[in-house]
Amino acid sequence: MAAVATCGTGAGSTGSMVAAGSKNNVTSFQRRGPRASGSDSSYSRLVSIAGTRPSVRNGQLLVSTGLPALDQLLGGGLAVGTVLLIEEDKYNIYSSLLFKYFLAEGIINGHTLLVASAKEDPADILQELPAPLLDDNVKKDFDEDACNHKTAESNIKMKIAWRYQLLPKMEAGPVSSSRFGHYYDASKKMPQELIEASKWHGFFFPEKSSSTLNIEPCSLTHGYIKLLQFIQNTIYEEGFDGSNPQKKQKNILRIGIQNLGSPLWGDDICCTENGNSHSLTKFLYVLRGLLRTSLSACMITMPTHLIQNKAIISRVTNLSDTVVGLESFIGSERETNPLYKDYHGLIHIRQIPRLNNLIYDVSDVKDLAFKLKRKLFTIEGWRGRSFPNLKI
Amino acid sequence: VTPSEGARGGTGRQLEMESVLALRGLVLLRDSVEWEGRSLLKALIKKAALGGEQVHILGCEVSEEEFRAGFDSSINSRLVYYDFFRDPLNWAQTGEALPGGPLGALQAMCERTDPGPVTVALDSLSWLLLRLPCAALCQALCAMSRQHACRGGGPAAEQLCVLGLLHRELHGPGPMGALSSLAQTEVTLSGTAGQASAHILCRRPRQRPTLETLWFSVLPDLSLDLQGGPPLESQPHPDPHTPQVDPASHLTFNLHLSKREREAKDSLTLPFQFSSEKQQALLRPGPGPATSRIFYEPDVFDDLDPEDPDGDLDV
Repeated sequence: MAAVATCGTGAGSTGSMVAAGSKNNVTSFQRRGPRASGSDSSYSRLVSIAGTRPSVRNGQLLVSTGLPALDQLLGGGLAVGTVLLIEEDKYNIYSSLLFKYFLAEGIINGHTLLVASAKEDPADILQELPAPLLDDNVKKDFDEDACNHKTAESNIKMKIAWRYQLLPKMEAGPVSSSRFGHYYDASKKMPQELIEASKWHGFFFPEKSSSTLNIEPCSLTHGYIKLLQFIQNTIYEEGFDGSNPQKKQKNILRIGIQNLGSPLWGDDICCTENGNSHSLTKFLYVLRGLLRTSLSACMITMPTHLIQNKAIISRVTNLSDTVVGLESFIGSERETNPLYKDYHGLIHIRQIPRLNNLIYDVSDVKDLAFKLKRKLFTIEGWRGRSFPNLKI
Repeated sequence: VTPSEGARGGTGRQLEMESVLALRGLVLLRDSVEWEGRSLLKALIKKAALGGEQVHILGCEVSEEEFRAGFDSSINSRLVYYDFFRDPLNWAQTGEALPGGPLGALQAMCERTDPGPVTVALDSLSWLLLRLPCAALCQALCAMSRQHACRGGGPAAEQLCVLGLLHRELHGPGPMGALSSLAQTEVTLSGTAGQASAHILCRRPRQRPTLETLWFSVLPDLSLDLQGGPPLESQPHPDPHTPQVDPASHLTFNLHLSKREREAKDSLTLPFQFSSEKQQALLRPGPGPATSRIFYEPDVFDDLDPEDPDGDLDV
């Protein structure tokens, strides 16, 4: 993808690679042009951007979503230049938490943020970000949680037949390698100095629109047009699309859009079935074009449970790259069901993109549930559809 | 608020009511044909007025005289009333109508209030929802609290309360869902056997929503009277604690082991568990595999070709 190609050090490295090729080669093949990343010899020549890593499968540049468990499910992380769509849970508790993790990860890695919302002021959103867990505390917390979990079951001996020992465990512990994904403490706020040191652009729709009472019958809702213009201007002015050659280090732009599609953006797909059904899809199409040609990654939360026309949901899914749905148990009958008692909700991975690939990078575990522990948001394979507490 | 039963029980209930009805932000009063909500709306208005708040009312569904009936004169003088019932489209062209229609009135309301606790009552939100685009109405409602906060006086969350009367049967799931997602509190009115109840769903930001049920009635002087619970004769038999769903109940195989079975299971060595006895058995050349053999008698339809036992050569 274009995004990956621009990560190289520019013409200099290309030239040197060609020269090296001609020195050692025994074939008449000469490498021309920018070299696709992923192969080992170009590894050291890539100027690595903070907070990114190439995918182990196809060399696609990835950023962390802020939740290492979610990164693992998405095949290593969120690819730069793609859209991650989160289908909100009914009361928008866990989806806004994921949104904050995404932004907090950007601040920790030093990425530039673009926060767009029609409900809350982006400055307020940034004040509410969770604090990162420092390394020395993380291990302690994990051991603590693990102990609490194990005491109930330690007195029951379990003989594991050999096959089950090979089942892959979801990685619940902290990644010991260099910090690609970080863990956050949802009960503490991010330190003020980190927020102030970060670079962010905020788009608060009620302030940007000239008048909130105008109803414009054009195909793209007023709010979406303004947002697209804002994103485009930011990308161009800050040089994320390579238009202004950046003297300084290349960086990633993390775009977070909250509650897209809600009536506060001026879109009525949540209110009626026959509303302006193309506005949102056009927005996503144009947004994807903007992202593909720049070093940015976008997370959108959308209240799909409110969208009345189900065909729009499938169109929206097709227009996004990665789609994750959250279903919380609050208020539903599952809350009291003992089968679900350990968890707060289910995660549905609805779509994973095929980027420079012929196959999907789907995880083996299909039934996933999440729970928000005291400090950590964990995603676990929910073992067994009917008998989670079965002891053989 | 008059305590219903004994002083202590009443005040306890009163305190509980105070906490539950500490309504701020957008509050939806969802009523229906059987259980009307206007009296509750008026009772809440009276409570706010007695509490010293500024009260603004957007009256669209009933006339001003009818709405003001029931309030005593001191409260009536404190209410600021915007009348959209008599002349909603401003055909009479009197100068007193606010520009911009009902949405303009909402905006003007925020501009005319002084900083401090304000209660705005919309009678009714259904009327507005049927005549205005839902998205514009949602934006206007959210803008109200923001504008009020801008004018000073602390965070908007504690200062402004917008009570919206919503008739459940008039709207489809779309607009209702959209408004519910914006509202901080939803009060759904229902009841049994002549006793009204209010199911109050509070959404606090970043916290789990809480659901409470209050049984109440509105007295003629528009004060709220809370009952302890549903009327006795109509109380359903207290549900025996619903038995926990036992996943292992209706199965075709047996999940529970008897003592003998458990002992047998514990003494079993798994096939790939390498114990020392097994190791010895393998090392010692023992008698041939005495476990199982397969005997096969070819019948008349078998055509075994010794050179092509699988029968897959195309000869």
